[in-house]
Amino acid sequence: MSLQTDFGPDSGGRVKGLVIVKPIIYGNIARYFGKKREEDGHTHQWTVYVKPYANEDMSAYIKKVHFKLHESYANPNRIIAKPPYELTETGWGEFEIVIKIYFHDPNERPVTLYHILKLFQSPVTEGGAPPVVGRALVSESYEEIVFQEPTQLMQHLLNSVKPVSSGSWNHDTDFEEKKEATLKKILAAQSKVRNEISELKEKLHLAKETISKFKDEIAKIQNCPAGCGIPGV
Amino acid sequence: MADILDILELEQPSAEISRDSIIHGDKVKKKYVTAKAVKRPEGMHREVFALLYHDNKDLPPLLPTDTGKAYKQTKAKLGMRKVRKWVWAPFTNPARKDNAVFHHWKRASDEAKEYPFAQFNKQVAIPSYSESEYNQYLKSEDWSQAETDHLIDLCQRFDLRFIVIHDRWDRAAFRDRSVEDLKERYYGICTTLSKVKTNPWSNTVTMVNGEKRIYHYDAEHERKRKEQLRRLFDRTQEQIDEEQMLLAELKKIDARKRERERKTQDLQKLISRADSGNLPPISQVNNNNEGTSTPSNTASSIARRHDRKLHKKKITTQQRPVRAVESVTVEWSGIKFPEARGTGVWLRSQRMKLPAGVGQRKTKAIEQELRLMNIDIAPTPTEAICKHFNELRSDLALALDLKNALDSCEFELQALRHQYEALNPGKTLTIPPSICNMVGDNETKPVSEIIDVVGSPSALNSTI
Repeated sequence: MSLQTDFGPDSGGRVKGLVIVKPIIYGNIARYFGKKREEDGHTHQWTVYVKPYANEDMSAYIKKVHFKLHESYANPNRIIAKPPYELTETGWGEFEIVIKIYFHDPNERPVTLYHILKLFQSPVTEGGAPPVVGRALVSESYEEIVFQEPTQLMQHLLNSVKPVSSGSWNHDTDFEEKKEATLKKILAAQSKVRNEISELKEKLHLAKETISKFKDEIAKIQNCPAGCGIPGV
Repeated sequence: MADILDILELEQPSAEISRDSIIHGDKVKKKYVTAKAVKRPEGMHREVFALLYHDNKDLPPLLPTDTGKAYKQTKAKLGMRKVRKWVWAPFTNPARKDNAVFHHWKRASDEAKEYPFAQFNKQVAIPSYSESEYNQYLKSEDWSQAETDHLIDLCQRFDLRFIVIHDRWDRAAFRDRSVEDLKERYYGICTTLSKVKTNPWSNTVTMVNGEKRIYHYDAEHERKRKEQLRRLFDRTQEQIDEEQMLLAELKKIDARKRERERKTQDLQKLISRADSGNLPPISQVNNNNEGTSTPSNTASSIARRHDRKLHKKKITTQQRPVRAVESVTVEWSGIKFPEARGTGVWLRSQRMKLPAGVGQRKTKAIEQELRLMNIDIAPTPTEAICKHFNELRSDLALALDLKNALDSCEFELQALRHQYEALNPGKTLTIPPSICNMVGDNETKPVSEIIDVVGSPSALNSTI
């Protein structure tokens, strides 16, 4: 795929057949104050974020990220234009944060993520890293942004991302492991269900045949009600 | 007109005929002068005051004083012409043969005119025949000539009012005949005569475009019709009620039938879709059905219930071929997830949303199954996981459908077995145990229990 360089800012032409996938992580970390704050009753400090899954600078293609907080916050619409795309606040309650990611090319529509801000440890943790005492609570999700037939401008931007740091790029949750486990589980379940389906189909066929057999028997009896012939099954 | 003139404040033409000018004649219109209103004393109710004072300030009268001048006026002038005179005059009706004289009011100017209603006395032309004609054409085994003559005579006398003719029928001389018999004979005569001779008097022949039109009397039909009416009229209240009840039942049965047909169709669809070619086609089963159901179809005295089933079967067999084609081409899965969209940015996890067509109940059931298998209902969205997760849920949906279908099949089998047992007491049909999910268990259990019971004493014996 040759990189086209003669694109303008209004270049709306899309690259046929090209799909670029950018995996991301979004979620929040939260830290308990240890007590209720006197002045406003807040109990936690939290940070909501969107970061790349791979070690790359997302600002190459992301124009801004819009975090929409609960309406009880002063100006709940927070816009972050530069990485790291994160927002730190304090609060006492959990709520749904709407995260909207805008791209540099206005021809690509923004995508919207929904994240439930998590402050309190739930009794049952769903997979992933078990919470360590004394550490901040982490609740994050993996997501893939799929650019289907991006514009030429967008393609250029997506292909020209640079690494954020030279060091290792780690996440709190080991998504690779999780992906593998999930896929394995799903595949196992799938083969199990498929077996079940073929069994059910066979049963259903047998049932259909038996129904028609029964109907024949009944028809036979009704045709000669005097009891002629012995209906054998 | 006057209203419009009023509104436009135009002078009304004095020649205008209005109710006022008719009643008051030439008198000049009185101008209505508004009298000075007497003030109502404070605290007096309006109604009480109205009793004491009218607009014209008169005290209320003690006696009825209906002495208005209206009735003493000169006669009302209605219309401009002179009044024509009416006279009480005798008249004769030319339609009557007895020259009876009656009196009525009529205009003096109409003196010479004939009684106008005489023209409505239409005479019915009754065909006539000579002796030779009768012998030649009209001879009948059932009717003697005297009787026929009597009929024609009565027809003439009563202007074809057959009910009256029937009433006046000479039962002493001839045998009693029904109205239909009389009509049949009379119209038969008319038809025959109009064929053999041009009979201008016969009312049964009308010339339309030079063609003869003969009234054909269908006596058999009339008899049937009257019999039906009589029966309808003679129904008792109980019979009417029963009929209503039966009609209501029929409606219910029809509704149930439709429901069952719909279900069978759904089931068939499901089966053919589930097959998608990996199992032998079901047409074999279908052929069995057809082969046996058609002869039984001819048997007339089949219970209605059975009839219905045959009908149902027929419907399904008719639709089978179409579906067979479908099942080859259409790759059906439990849930149809939307295809990838054209262009733009989207999130992988959006691919895992169940389409809107999947009902809430099914969604719940699928989620329940997933939980049982310990699978996250919103797994990490990679491409492979998305694909397989969707396939898994689609398979789950299909499995649920199949389970439901199997349940309904089993139910039908049970119903058929009961029907069979009722028809053929002492015999039964065995349902293959592999089909039975829930009921089958109940039935096999007693057997194993029996075996256990038999087995345990012997075991005891052996140990002791």
